[in-house]
This record gives sequence, C-alpha cells and structure tokens, in this order.
Amino acid sequence: MSSERIVRFSRKRRLEHLTVMVLFVLLCLTGFPQKFYTHAWAQALVHGLGGIDRARQIHHAAGFALAGLTVLHFGAGLAGLLSRTIPFSMMPTRKDFEDVFRQLRYYLGTSRVEPLYDRYTYKEKFEYWGLVAGNVIMVVTGTILYFPLQVTALFPGVLVPAAKMAHSNEGLMAFLVITIWHIFNVHLNPDAFPFDPAIFTGRISRERYQHEHPLELARLEGRPAPKGADPDLGPHGPVHGEG
Amino acid sequence: MILAVFPLPGRAGDDNAACLECHSDASMTFDLEGGESLPLFVDGAVFQKSVHGEAVSCTDCHEGKTADHATGSLPVKTRHELARSDSKACTGCHEAPAEGIHHAVIARGDDRAPACSECHGAHDVLSPDAFRTHVPGKCGSCHEKEAKAYAGSVHGSAVDSNDDVPVCIDCHRVHKNADTSPGALSLRTPIICGRCHTDEKRMKKYGISTRVVATYLADFHGMVTTLQRGTDAGKGVRLAAGCTDCHGVHDIQKTDDPRSRVIAANLQRTCQTCHAGAPKNFPQAWLSHWEPSPRKAPAVWAVRQFYRLMIPFMVGGLVLQISLHVLGILRKR
Repeated sequence: MSSERIVRFSRKRRLEHLTVMVLFVLLCLTGFPQKFYTHAWAQALVHGLGGIDRARQIHHAAGFALAGLTVLHFGAGLAGLLSRTIPFSMMPTRKDFEDVFRQLRYYLGTSRVEPLYDRYTYKEKFEYWGLVAGNVIMVVTGTILYFPLQVTALFPGVLVPAAKMAHSNEGLMAFLVITIWHIFNVHLNPDAFPFDPAIFTGRISRERYQHEHPLELARLEGRPAPKGADPDLGPHGPVHGEG
Repeated sequence: MILAVFPLPGRAGDDNAACLECHSDASMTFDLEGGESLPLFVDGAVFQKSVHGEAVSCTDCHEGKTADHATGSLPVKTRHELARSDSKACTGCHEAPAEGIHHAVIARGDDRAPACSECHGAHDVLSPDAFRTHVPGKCGSCHEKEAKAYAGSVHGSAVDSNDDVPVCIDCHRVHKNADTSPGALSLRTPIICGRCHTDEKRMKKYGISTRVVATYLADFHGMVTTLQRGTDAGKGVRLAAGCTDCHGVHDIQKTDDPRSRVIAANLQRTCQTCHAGAPKNFPQAWLSHWEPSPRKAPAVWAVRQFYRLMIPFMVGGLVLQISLHVLGILRKR
C-alpha cells in the first residue's frame, strides 16, 4: 500500500482538541488538589502553584475558557448542521448500536467479522458525547459554585452543595474516563501504540483509514460502500456477506 | 509548660520566720516613686501553701536581702518595674520563656508585657492544675474586653464549675502563645477547637456531635483553611472562615442560644461578614455540620449516591471493553 496520507481532522478540530487538552490538564492540576486537599501531594501542588487562591484563579480562568469553547463549539455545530455545511457524522445512529453488538460478538469469538465503521466508531461517539455531557455538567455546576450569591438569590441554597458534589465527582469521572479510555485508545492500544498523532497532524495513512473507517473512505473516493470484510483475508480482501 | 525545679534543702522555715517578723504586718506599705503603694505584707500561711512553700526560702528569690535592707529607697518606680526585675529570681531556677507574643513584645522594647509574677503571682504561686480557674482573671487584668466576652460565653460562664471548658491558655497556649493579629490563628481553629470537640467522651456529656470538625473540613471553607495553613492574612489575602469566624471567638454561645451567631435567625448576617450581600437562601448552602442523608440535604445525598454507582459502572465498563478489545487482538494474531 502507498504511504498516501488522508486528512482526517481539519485545522479547526485539531486546534479545538489542543485547547481542550491544555485546559483539561490545567483544570485537573488545579481541581484535584481541592478535592484531595488532605494529601501531601495536593498540598505540595497547591504550594507549587503559589497558594490556593492562585490555584483557584487558574481553575476559574481555565473553566471559563472551556465554557466559552463549549458554547462556541455548540454554536458553530448547530449553525453548521442547520446550514448543512457539517454532516451529522457525530450523531448516534441505529448502526452504532448494531456495531456495539457486532463488535462484542467479534470480541467474544462468536463472529469472525468486525463491523465496518464510518467516520466515527461508536467508541469515538461515546467518548465525544460523554465529554460533551460531562462538560455541560461541569460548566453548569462550576458556574453555580462561582456565583453562589446570585444563585441563592433565585434558587434554594442547597443547590450549591449539590453542585459541589456533582462538580467534584463528575470531574473525577471525567479524569478516570480520559486516563483509562482515551489513553488506552490513542496510546496503549496495540494499533496505536505508542502514540496516535492523528489529532495533532490531522492526517492518517490511507491504509489505516481503510482499516478503521472503510465506509467513509469509500464515500470520500466515490466508491460504493463495502458490505463487510473477512478478517482472515485482511481488510482489502474479497467482500463476503456478514457472518 | 513544666519547668526544671531544683529542690532545695529544708532550711526554708527558719530563714522565713526571721523575715516574717517584720513582713507579717498587714499595714506595711512602701510608697513608690511612680505614685503606687507597694504592700510589703507577706501572708506566711498563703506562702506555705503555695507551690514554693516547702522548698524555697525568702532569700532564694530576694537575694541579698539582709536584716538591715529597709533603707527607705528602691531602685524601681512602679510595681510593674519591680515585677520585671523580680523575674530574674524566677529564671534562676526556671527556664525563661523565649517564645510567644509577650516575649516578642518585650523583645521589641515595649515593657507593657507581663512579668512572671504578674500572671503566676508572687508568694501565692499555684501549681498549673490548681491555677486553671484563675487564668481568665489573670489574663483579664490586662485583656479586659476579651475576658468580659469570655465570661459571658458558654465556656467562660462554666469555668468555675466545669473542668471541660477551655480557659484562655487552652486555646492561646501558655508561654508559646501566638500573635492573633495576622489572623493565622483562625486557620488553626479546626485543630484547637477539635481537641475537645472531637473527644467522644467529653462531648457525649453535652450531647454535642464529634463530627463537627470532619463535616467542616469536608466543605469548601475546611478545604481552603487546610490549604491556607501557615498563610498570614495581609493585603490581597483572604483567609477562609474557621470555627471562630462563624461561632465567635471569646463570646461563643450554644448554637440554640438566641445570642449565637450561628442560630438560624442570625446566620444570614454572620455569612454577610465575609459574603457581602448574601441573600436569605445563602446560609442553606452550608449544611450546618450535617452529613448529606435522605433526611438532611437529600439532593446532595442523591448526587453522591448517583456518582457512587456511576463511577464504578463507567470505569468497570471501560475496563471490560478494553479487555475485550485486547482479547480480540490477541485472538487475531
């Protein structure tokens, strides 16, 4: 196969990812010491950041930046969807749910055929929507915690400790999902090891595209969608019916 | 603080009797240059009962006093000056405190700080245990405002009848007492107050929860004060509220006392001392030392339960998916 490289992520998406990544790291660094403040590492980290007040300032700035980015992302996404300049490629479809079961059957050995994926696999969609949902929870609860006077002027005061409980736990869950799931998929996964640079370079090889997103590649190249592949013959082998 | 005491041979009695021949006259005084009248009377019985009564003779402290020392002049102008100069007698046996705010005050040339005998007494020095109930009065002879507030508080009003309540030195310490002015002492209140208020045996007598410190630490203020420990208040530094910022310092009342700063009727105003303009609902943002439960703060409890299930479910699911994925790859090879 040629070393032809295909653009998978636009410059804008790569910049978005980079920004989210930096903000996420900053939020974790300044947030977890507040959750685990009794531990020596947390106290050392806060001290290193210049004290709890400074750590909170950084946390607030990064939080507002991420909130702004979320609003922009949704705004642009909605406008793009409505004007049909962005495809509905991230929307969960019936096929995604079927893919979950196809993939599971393959994993469990009851089927020898892996599902063929379009632009985003169900795993990528799950991670994206998980991040979106988590982000909304973090932005909403973070805003409540930042404006307790204004919030309690309109709502019962218990909203504040409830928001704190959600913010702290959702943050931990996001961190665990990212460290376990994302780091496995883009770093430790034997297919990606040691590091999948696609989200930074924007490009992946045609060979990999064919392997991971054959339906999208076929559409990009104006070919009819393949109907399934026998893993024993490789991704480019003769097309069989699905097992 | 326990100081080194050197027991002296039992010759005290004879010497002292000679001194008391003159000094047992209750009307004997000396007019100091500064205008004060210095009583020269020593109650032999009181001294005998004091901590020094058995072992120390008059001249052990009043060095060089001979039978003819009544010259009609003294090298000091005030009683305070005399006490300061007499401290040398104490430091002959006891190590001089080299820490604490009173020491610091003297070190910077301010002579208002008390000398040994002004707190401990001179001829009536009591053992630290017996001295306990006298402490608020002693401190109060200079710190009047604080002593008055304390006397009316839940702690101070019980000091004569109750050994559980703290006196000044239980919170401020004795010779290592810290300067309270930078506010850093308030950051230590969870530890200081917690010494008694997490003591199950002691709190049980009064039906007070020992979870008050843990529940405080679990909330925002507790997190910030923990991370701020060692910070001095100053320009641009706002210390988070410790125990005394809400409950009061010397004037702490029972939480159901109408004078209490933390009783529901007063709480909004107490919050407003830091959170200017805090609305009526604002105090509910603090769970009043309750732990979230279906009865108290069910919304907070529900959120916590949700994540207690959701986090293991999510992590377990992802680990399972990863394991299956790795298994699939291994099978393909």
